[in-house]
Amino acid sequence: MWLRRELHGLTVNATAGATSRDYFSLFHIEPNFKIDEIALEQVYHSLLSQFHPDRYAGKPQVEQRVAAQLCADINAGYRTLLGEVTRAHYLLQHNGVDLKAAEREGVGADFLMTQIILRERLESIAEGDQAGHQAVAREIDEHYSLSRDRFAEAAQGAAWHDAARYWQEMCYLAKLVDATDARGR
Amino acid sequence: MVLLQIAEPGESPDLTVARSIAVGIDLGTTNSLIAQFDGAQVRVFEGASGQPSLPSVVHYGAESTQVGGAALALANEQPENTIASAKRMLGRAREDVADDPYATLTTDGALAFATDQGKKTPVEVSAAILDALKIRAEAQLDGPIAGAVITVPAYFDDAQRQATRQAAELAGVKVLRLLNEPTAAAVAYGLDEQAEESSLLAVYDLGGGTFDISILRMRAGLFEVLATGGDSALGGDDFDREIARYVTTELAMTDPTPRQRRTLLGIARDAKQALSESSAIEIDGSGLGGDGQKIVLTRRTLEALIEPYIERTLKACKQALQDAGVESVDRVVLVGGSTRTPAVAQAVAACFDQTPLCTLDPDQVVAMGAARQADILIGNRSDDDALLLDVIPLSLGLETYGGLAERIIDRNSTIPIARAQEFTTARDGQTGLVIHVVQGERERVADCRSLARFELNGIPPMVAGAARIEVTFRVDADGILEVSAVEQQTGARSEVVVKPAFGLDERDITDMLKASYEFAAEDMAARKLAEAGVEAEALLEGLRVALVKDGDLLDRDETQTLRDGMVRLEETLQHSDADALRDSTEKLGRASETFATRRMDRSIQSALQGISVGQLDAESSE
Repeated sequence: MWLRRELHGLTVNATAGATSRDYFSLFHIEPNFKIDEIALEQVYHSLLSQFHPDRYAGKPQVEQRVAAQLCADINAGYRTLLGEVTRAHYLLQHNGVDLKAAEREGVGADFLMTQIILRERLESIAEGDQAGHQAVAREIDEHYSLSRDRFAEAAQGAAWHDAARYWQEMCYLAKLVDATDARGR
Repeated sequence: MVLLQIAEPGESPDLTVARSIAVGIDLGTTNSLIAQFDGAQVRVFEGASGQPSLPSVVHYGAESTQVGGAALALANEQPENTIASAKRMLGRAREDVADDPYATLTTDGALAFATDQGKKTPVEVSAAILDALKIRAEAQLDGPIAGAVITVPAYFDDAQRQATRQAAELAGVKVLRLLNEPTAAAVAYGLDEQAEESSLLAVYDLGGGTFDISILRMRAGLFEVLATGGDSALGGDDFDREIARYVTTELAMTDPTPRQRRTLLGIARDAKQALSESSAIEIDGSGLGGDGQKIVLTRRTLEALIEPYIERTLKACKQALQDAGVESVDRVVLVGGSTRTPAVAQAVAACFDQTPLCTLDPDQVVAMGAARQADILIGNRSDDDALLLDVIPLSLGLETYGGLAERIIDRNSTIPIARAQEFTTARDGQTGLVIHVVQGERERVADCRSLARFELNGIPPMVAGAARIEVTFRVDADGILEVSAVEQQTGARSEVVVKPAFGLDERDITDMLKASYEFAAEDMAARKLAEAGVEAEALLEGLRVALVKDGDLLDRDETQTLRDGMVRLEETLQHSDADALRDSTEKLGRASETFATRRMDRSIQSALQGISVGQLDAESSE
């Protein structure tokens, strides 16, 4: 517990969040990777309908300021918890994982190779070859789902070292998914 | 920031007793409107001749200033003194704008028009239009306007929003909120329907000078903008210009004078409107000093001329759908005068595979929605009203090593939002760094829009990579950005509210306000005092209520400190010193921030408890 607190204190500064507010407790959900997205959205909407700056029009400026700041946290937190990659990242930070060390360690050589091959295949698809594009897109999606499920499993078992590696795989593959979408347009 | 308040000094700003007058203003490129929601319906204020729209034209003659129709009437006579479409230049730098077809631009200093009354910036021109709208509405109302919602194109960037706010400040209009135009239109449509089911709506808004597309999800109690896109320099004016160019070529005119150009644009606009009804028209070129030639313009030719522009709007529509993560929408709404062009409506219908809705006047729908939102924001409505969640149109980021843009806040993020990112130094012994804030989607900084540059100094010399600099971006509900940077170990700090470098600074605004005949020195002083009084009273009243309700959140010392501050502020209220009053209010406000935060945290708990027993269970069992 002491270790976790200590590390947590360090990593908050590296978080892409505005304050040290704990998003899981803000949204009243358990700090797991698997979350109830519908419940998250409902809490999000009910928090916003209470604290949105529109509800504070005409109130003293100090209240408007504090409400706007809280609302900014609510929006940032919702965005963080809604996305799988950002949620995974946040969960790692939340559990005090040393992400810098994890990044130095990187992903496995096999994964890197797979990733490079997928990218090459994506780039070599001829213009207008819809079937070919769809096939690669499906394959990338499958790889992403696999890394995500592995992350979920590792996180569930508090195997943070493995989880940090799967999270990096998710990052690589999510970028590939974006690239696929961009080419498919 | 100058605030216009309705309450006199000593009068309590109790907004629940009397109905406060709040208006919606559509500050358009070609036409502007002002409207009010009176509790039952929206009223668009008409001008003396019964026209709801005020041409966004200002004439700065040697003798006098005219706004609207009167200015437009002088356009042919004195084109260089008559400024139209100033909105295109609002918040823009000189290098952003092509030559103005209407007036002459100054060649040095901030972007401005050269007139017989000297330099006039786009902010001043917009302020003159806002002022005319305010006068028009107040002449038909029982009292002064307490606040306004001003609409801006969703695709307006930070600088353009700041410039709009400055114009309002200059005109003495208190801005309750800058509202995106398509969102305002959705409010006007949506509130009439009160759909229980969640539905998706696309708002296609093609005005004179700007194009916006927004995708919204609407359900009872919530309007959520999912994605927005567009082009803040594309509109019906481009159609006119294309037609004018065509006519120029057909008539073999070389280098038309400003007056001829203006005449050409008038002809073009008439031709465009006529072709909405007929399939071909004849243009008489004799008024242009040519040899009296007549040319024929068919609808088909017009469509070919404007096709590239329509194509650009459709591309943005597809991008917005993708950004929203949806494939189709339930309804499409047309907004803006340029959607009257049949080719535009047809293209939108084909793109969204349905007949677009235009049951509300496309020229008035934005002002109508703004008026409704203004009524809510001034406090005339209950908390049960629909909540509006809007987004920022463009990503915000920083320049990093190698001229690359590092994104901090993604486009289509719901506002207000704050995000922080940690950076470090690149060289050993580096004691300062330049923070360059950019807006846009491209990877290279050179391709993004530069918003501001500021420096963070006082970092103690360390090896490269050892400093920990946290940069925080905050975007408020108007879409306006504030950036701060803190070196974590030393606490060295620097921050800016991002101000357009080519806009006006606070001093310019103060000078202009002073110079303005409307705000004589004593009026200014009285107004400042009244504003400070209202804010002080509001704070005191708020704290009194809070201490009764949540006083247990403070320990004895904290309570005493607050009470002392309140007594001091009450004393200051007895004297007519605006600066002291403002200062005292600011101090007490800061001192009570912790209290406000704790109270809000307490209400989060009760808000969440409310759901877990009530609607959450009910909805999850559906």
